[in-house]
Amino acid sequence: MIERRRRRRLHIITHVVVALGLLLVAAAGRFAYRSSAAARIPVVIGVLLLATSHILMTRELYRLENMERELHDANRELESFSYSVSHDLRAPLRSIDGFSQALIEDAGLTLVPEARSHLDRIRAATQRMGRLIDDLIGLSRVTRSGMTFERIDVTDLVEQIVAELRRQTPDRVIDVLIRPGMTATGDPHLVRLAFQNLIENAWKFTSRRPHATIDVGESRDKDGVPAFYVGDNGAGFDPEYADKLFGAFQRLHTSAEFPGTGIGLATVQRIVHRHGGHLWAEGETNQGACFYFTLE
Amino acid sequence: MRAMNEILLVEDNPDDVELTRRAFRKSQFENEIVVARDGIEALDYLLGTGEHREREALGLPQLVLLDLKLPRLDGLQVLDRMRGNPKTKLLPVVILTSSTEPRDLVSGYSHGANSYIRKPVDFEEFVEAVRQIGQYWLLLNQPAPSSTGDGS
Repeated sequence: MIERRRRRRLHIITHVVVALGLLLVAAAGRFAYRSSAAARIPVVIGVLLLATSHILMTRELYRLENMERELHDANRELESFSYSVSHDLRAPLRSIDGFSQALIEDAGLTLVPEARSHLDRIRAATQRMGRLIDDLIGLSRVTRSGMTFERIDVTDLVEQIVAELRRQTPDRVIDVLIRPGMTATGDPHLVRLAFQNLIENAWKFTSRRPHATIDVGESRDKDGVPAFYVGDNGAGFDPEYADKLFGAFQRLHTSAEFPGTGIGLATVQRIVHRHGGHLWAEGETNQGACFYFTLE
Repeated sequence: MRAMNEILLVEDNPDDVELTRRAFRKSQFENEIVVARDGIEALDYLLGTGEHREREALGLPQLVLLDLKLPRLDGLQVLDRMRGNPKTKLLPVVILTSSTEPRDLVSGYSHGANSYIRKPVDFEEFVEAVRQIGQYWLLLNQPAPSSTGDGS
């Protein structure tokens, strides 16, 4: 963002300098026949200005090329890093989990209960690490994936997500209010992922409410830009720690209270930023939470 | 010449070999599991070349379980050579790997894999996956006649 503003300012300065230089050279040209010393001053200044602008532009171009190359290298590195993570990092976990289970099966009857419980903990931790790796790969994929912009029927998308969650948790009693006729322009896959993360969160953090409500609708940010929101009457959060909500692996609840890896909101934030929008949250402890985001 | 009741497991990680054997045992499949530790060994076994020259006249395994990341020749190269050889062109190959990277899935299928299964971290899920692979590819699925080696 700062980079973009800096570049725009440099563009304007360069244009002004070029215009002034040309003007001076042209004006001097008209009076050149006088060829007095005084008439040469604007020519000299004009030429100097043009040369300066040329240097400025060349430097900027060089800097941009460098940045582009660095970005390209960083992307390639990220790509091969994620690739190797998804291939190699889970293999040792399979061994730890598999052989712990083999031990439980083969020596189960001779194990003292404490030893058995240690093995169960090893397996639980291993599987948790497996989920963390998967989520991390998912997050980096959100950054790496290409984007196509399309018109999206948001209401339909949200209804699909809610129907799937209802199918998975038929015992939950949840009132879901979905505003009809919502549409957006964005990458269909990423926008779906953003809504899915927010609605799944609402689903999870209302799990202790006998009567849960979730509300998905439209609003506006303080500049009047249209925003979507997903609100619930669940566990909410302490507004003092609101800045920690969107960091990867940051959690405001213990895993025992609400399970999770702390990657969901970081994923949503990345998706929203890739669309040039912003994401913010309102909430109070035990008073529910509401997440808003714009897509432009 | 007829198909043998074998499964060829192409896998370089000894832990995964052991766990896969265990999973097949637990699922009550009694097929013999032959292990190839890299791509060259896998092709030698299938095509009766190299150190497996003496196998030339023998049949093919019923199923190949193929890892993608392998020493010497990787899984996709093995698939390419299998699909390019009339003897193994139609032999069922299930990719069994850690990755769900979209490019691995796309290239796995484009190079001619019949199925792509991700190895879960949870061993009990892995046993269930192996049970279903066996159920489907060893019992339910009808292989192409040529893949039994009748045509050669």
